[in-house]
Amino acid sequence: MFGFLKKKKSASLAKDRLTIAIMSDRDRTNGYPFMDEMKAEIMEVVKKYIGVRGVEIRKEIDGDIEALAIEVELDKNI
Amino acid sequence: MGIVIAVISGKGGVGKTTATANLGLGIAMNGKKCVLVDFDIGQRNLDMILGLENRVVYDMVQVMEGEANIKQAAIKSKANENLHFLAASQTKDKSVLDSAKVEKLVADLKESYDFVILDAPAGIESGYEHTIEFADAAIVVVNPEVSSIRDADRAIGILDSKSAKVKNGEEVAKYLIINRIVADMVESGEMLKSEDILEILNIKLLGKVPEDKGVIDASNQGKPVILDKKSIAGQAYSRIAGRLCGQKVDMKDIEVADTGVFKKLAGMFK
Repeated sequence: MFGFLKKKKSASLAKDRLTIAIMSDRDRTNGYPFMDEMKAEIMEVVKKYIGVRGVEIRKEIDGDIEALAIEVELDKNI
Repeated sequence: MGIVIAVISGKGGVGKTTATANLGLGIAMNGKKCVLVDFDIGQRNLDMILGLENRVVYDMVQVMEGEANIKQAAIKSKANENLHFLAASQTKDKSVLDSAKVEKLVADLKESYDFVILDAPAGIESGYEHTIEFADAAIVVVNPEVSSIRDADRAIGILDSKSAKVKNGEEVAKYLIINRIVADMVESGEMLKSEDILEILNIKLLGKVPEDKGVIDASNQGKPVILDKKSIAGQAYSRIAGRLCGQKVDMKDIEVADTGVFKKLAGMFK
């Protein structure tokens, strides 16, 4: 009857561990297989106007809202 | 014009093929024409669960290659004439699948059936991608267990990026079946609750299926468990099939142990 006082139940441990593992899986896979292609294209477009060192795209998920965060690092030497 | 549903899981051994067989039969029992297609090339299994392994003459690869037509290859279920089945090829490997041929097969099947259900292979390789590519909706099968849920999330991620519908700017509908739930364990906090699983995977619930020893007994005989009216898993599949056919079937709470008053009293003094 007092079993619940002993330790955290394994189901809630599973939930915590899964939430973290899945978040990092989603980050790593970046969500879409066409990311590299898209990065290269964005780089080409920006390059027409200004020097670019690199493009980073991240898929961000917050509840029901999904967004792409695109970061363009400029190259001051060009 | 029918609807195409891919049954997926990511991890193997969670009951995907069993779910496919039972839902197909359940849909057929509701009077809808349904065809099940085994996409697990080289590891044919749906034929055994349906008890049709001795009737396979042509497989789905032969249909795609034009060596046989759908009428010749489709095997009628012994349990219900509305249910037909196309076997996976047992001799070829997954590389025989190609997008154009899969698209044509699926389009042809949609013409003559209300429901076209594709049983995906485990894993997230090319065979899986071909199964989901032209599906209108997906049913994800998981067990309330960490590896199954994590692998399902990967499979859903690939569905969201490789589906033809998504590429056209539409959404592919996704529904979850939680299989092999043990009420006692959920109650005692030793098994994930369905609401937690839905929250983690961010997906809608289609149904919950309790653990039931009758499932193995049913597959031993090649008679899907839905035919056993007393089976609790069979009843769960009947409810899910009803939902798929557009009926309003309340979600039965199978996560509460169905114990008598005396057992409950005894439990208090454990």
